[in-house]
Amino acid sequence: MKPHKITLYVYNVGFGDCFLLCFHYQRGGDRYVLIDFGTTAAPKGFSKERGSRLLADIAEDIRIRCGKAGLTAVVATHRHRDHISGFATSKDGKGPGDIIRNLKPKVVIQPWTEDPKAPVDALSPVQDPGRAQAFLQSLQDMQRVAEAIVQAAAPSNRSWLGKELRSRLAFLGEDNLANESAVKNLMTMGLKQYYVYFQSRSGLERLLPGVKVHVLGPPTLRQSDAIRSQRSRDPDEFWHFHRYWGFQARAAEHEMRAVKLFQAETLSVENAPVEMRWFCHRVRAIRGEQLLNIVRELDRQLNNTSLILLFETGGKRLLFPGDAQIENWSYALEKLHEEGKLDLLAGVDLYKVGHHGSLNATPKSLWSLFEKRGGEDKPERLKTVLSTLPGKHGSERTGTEVPRKKLVEALRQESELFSTNAMKVRDGLCKVIEIPL
Amino acid sequence: MRTRRLTIVAEDPSLQVGSGDQRRILTAEVEIPYEELAEGPRGHRVHVIDYDSTSDTIYAPLPAEAYANGQDPFLNPTNETILNNPNFHAQNVYAVVMRTLARFERALGRRVEWSFGGHQIYVAPHAFSDANAFYSDRDRALLFGYFPAAEGNQMIFTCLSHDVIVHEVTHALLDGLRQRYTDPSSPDQAAFHEGFADVVALLSAFSIPEVVRAALESKRGVPQSVSRSLLTKEALRKSVLLGLALQLGSELSGVRGEALRRSVQLRPGVEWLQDPFYCQAHRRGEIFVAAMMNAFVEVLSNGLATLGDVNGKGALDRGRVVQECADTAERLLNICIRAIDYCPPTDLRFGDFLSALITSDQEIVPDDSRYRFRDAIRANFQAFGIAPASGQVASGAWEPPVDESQRLDYTGVHFEALRQHHDEVFRFLWQNRGILKVFPDAYTKVLSVRPCSRVGPDGFILEETVAEYYQVLTLKARELKRLKIEKPANMPEDLEIKLYGGGALIFDEYGHLKYHVRNRIDNRNLQQERLQSLWDSGYFDQGFNSGQRFSALHLARMVRWPLGYAGRG
Repeated sequence: MKPHKITLYVYNVGFGDCFLLCFHYQRGGDRYVLIDFGTTAAPKGFSKERGSRLLADIAEDIRIRCGKAGLTAVVATHRHRDHISGFATSKDGKGPGDIIRNLKPKVVIQPWTEDPKAPVDALSPVQDPGRAQAFLQSLQDMQRVAEAIVQAAAPSNRSWLGKELRSRLAFLGEDNLANESAVKNLMTMGLKQYYVYFQSRSGLERLLPGVKVHVLGPPTLRQSDAIRSQRSRDPDEFWHFHRYWGFQARAAEHEMRAVKLFQAETLSVENAPVEMRWFCHRVRAIRGEQLLNIVRELDRQLNNTSLILLFETGGKRLLFPGDAQIENWSYALEKLHEEGKLDLLAGVDLYKVGHHGSLNATPKSLWSLFEKRGGEDKPERLKTVLSTLPGKHGSERTGTEVPRKKLVEALRQESELFSTNAMKVRDGLCKVIEIPL
Repeated sequence: MRTRRLTIVAEDPSLQVGSGDQRRILTAEVEIPYEELAEGPRGHRVHVIDYDSTSDTIYAPLPAEAYANGQDPFLNPTNETILNNPNFHAQNVYAVVMRTLARFERALGRRVEWSFGGHQIYVAPHAFSDANAFYSDRDRALLFGYFPAAEGNQMIFTCLSHDVIVHEVTHALLDGLRQRYTDPSSPDQAAFHEGFADVVALLSAFSIPEVVRAALESKRGVPQSVSRSLLTKEALRKSVLLGLALQLGSELSGVRGEALRRSVQLRPGVEWLQDPFYCQAHRRGEIFVAAMMNAFVEVLSNGLATLGDVNGKGALDRGRVVQECADTAERLLNICIRAIDYCPPTDLRFGDFLSALITSDQEIVPDDSRYRFRDAIRANFQAFGIAPASGQVASGAWEPPVDESQRLDYTGVHFEALRQHHDEVFRFLWQNRGILKVFPDAYTKVLSVRPCSRVGPDGFILEETVAEYYQVLTLKARELKRLKIEKPANMPEDLEIKLYGGGALIFDEYGHLKYHVRNRIDNRNLQQERLQSLWDSGYFDQGFNSGQRFSALHLARMVRWPLGYAGRG
């Protein structure tokens, strides 16, 4: 048995990702896979009221589309809010996460870094429990940093940070907060949980007959060690990473408390001698930039826990890399190259553009592999799907804007691009893309 | 010159001596130039402002009278004072910054300017709650963070780490000496700032006898004499160098990483320069540090071998070992700092620095037979695959500026003006542009003119004038062909790029050009390598945020994502 058609529903979530893949079978009906469901900023043109019920509306739309079949699988590529906030439940049982839960997904697939048993399970894909424990602790430390920075940047705390910087800190920081309700729901909603990694089983083997699902990322610590030992000359490098985030978590929590360091005579900036004031204002500005740099770095690092999934069926290949960044991709590309399997990527028909169109998430070495890139007359031209909202992430001044203009230009020229940013309110909740097999 | 002595933390608060109730943080009294200080402390080059942005508080400084007449208000401080008195922290950063500045000025034989044009650098000893410390030229400042220790309630203050302070102020001083070294260029240039700052920090630490004494201390305490078997090159590497590197670890590794430990443990090998791990700017500096510190150990070991035994028992007096170590560090530090004047002003490679170092030292210490610093440096750089950039293979020193058959034109160039005025130097350069092979189509600017009086170890005085000029050429990628430079594959034809070049002009005491150390803007190989390296690193895609470059470099040094690896985009 194999599907004869795929339908991709691309939901306009503003800044976030939400994709519903439907595999249509002649016999056996339709099977639905939900890949991510989250947002951190409503789509443009949405009223406040409409924005506040966006996730509930989408969950309801998904429920209607899935019908009695329910969900075959839920995939949460990584723990960022813009990818999983829709899985949060509410006390009255009517939250978007409750609706998805009631669709009774048979499996929930997440990266190995979300496995609650990873540190102690001898069969988990880690070299030793101590390191795995430390690594997962570091991910939590990053979220502690984000939480402390969000609170430190609240208007009542540091008015001198300025509106624009505060809003950027809040946007990035909140995306990195621990999403307890969503995480808990994801951990328990499926009949079975799969925590997957590079070239592991996907968990979809029996559920999607005729479809091969390749897991291309993230690598495990053990897999990374094998390749890093050829590059790194410092066996303690891992522990620097671990210590650094531990220190930063404590430093950020101190920042949040904003208590004086010493019992000593102090002056206020406003009453300080004139020659001190200019410098104090500069230090405040530097501090704002520093906080933004830290939260950007941890955001980038958590992106690298992203799942990269490649669906292959009926001669078509669909690539969903979540928000994977260069480190995650470098591993996959090198290993596939070593194993002579780069053809898998060369033949991609549909590419979900990584990390909402940031440049680092679509490495040149990946983009240049796609053989179906080309002008409008290219047969079976590559389709690209971009879920994004400009003006929320990065800045043009520093060449970090999301989506990156240069990338969008390349996507337009060399593929059939669909961007959620092009959707109007009247276009409804989602765009439907048919992929005949 | 009148000086004063102030108490500082000798290395960092983790380095303690004594036992039980007597255990105390190791401090040292250091000599710095005398000046009547204002509140801050605030002197003619440094202004400490103790503003903490985390608590939005300014800690009130000591009144100026506390420092009047050369007083040290913190003589023999208790541990409590060292850790919990913000005024001691302010004194500590002031004294270490001034000591480092004085060291640079003494080595170079002239005043050293900050890159930002002002006279006083701001220093914030408790700038923010953050495991970071950095120099920001845009803000004319050195900023030191603090963060809670892993255990207990104690704070870790980066402003109490001698190593961290010297490292950061060296960035500031080097930026003043060579403004273009922060430009995007080769991995070597990006690495040099970090490597050079580490070398200065390490050698400065070794020039404090208290620190060396502590590094030689064994678990059984401080020996009165040291066996010769412990003073071989290998043994010294393990005891003194690694001892200090490990001391610098612990909590402060949260800020500095363990680059020093890695540098000290890096075995010589010509392969490192090509190793992908060391092609990253924040790692590559470690090769430079390793070569330099191995040279230090070799010279130290040679020097110790010439000292007499205590009672003829095959052991050396500990005090003499400590002094020899401090003296060797001091001399090597001078050699390193002087070399900067003899480096090209743009696109520095490690090999350029090696030739600069050999040449500048040769000028002031023609006879190196006693300590053989130059032999040791050449050999240890070679062991790490770093060859002198000069064409003079045997010595490695820079060549004379022109062939013997050529004569430079000094017509209308006035000696006194040449020692002071940018325009006079430019006139000399312009009227000799053909013979000096200065690319005429590029924008050219004389960046600095600096007369120097350098004093050699034997009291010999060397008078020189050092000028540097800089060239920039902006063109489209397709125009590179004009200079016979191939653009990197896939680089768009209409991409705008900048090529940099320039030279250091060293004039002797009579105003005649002795050396012309340059990287030509039309040097095909150099420019092609630079462009390829920048293209591969993604520089043209992402741009370059110069605002917090040192902060960003430190962050890259600390945080390496453990899954996968940082490949090329």
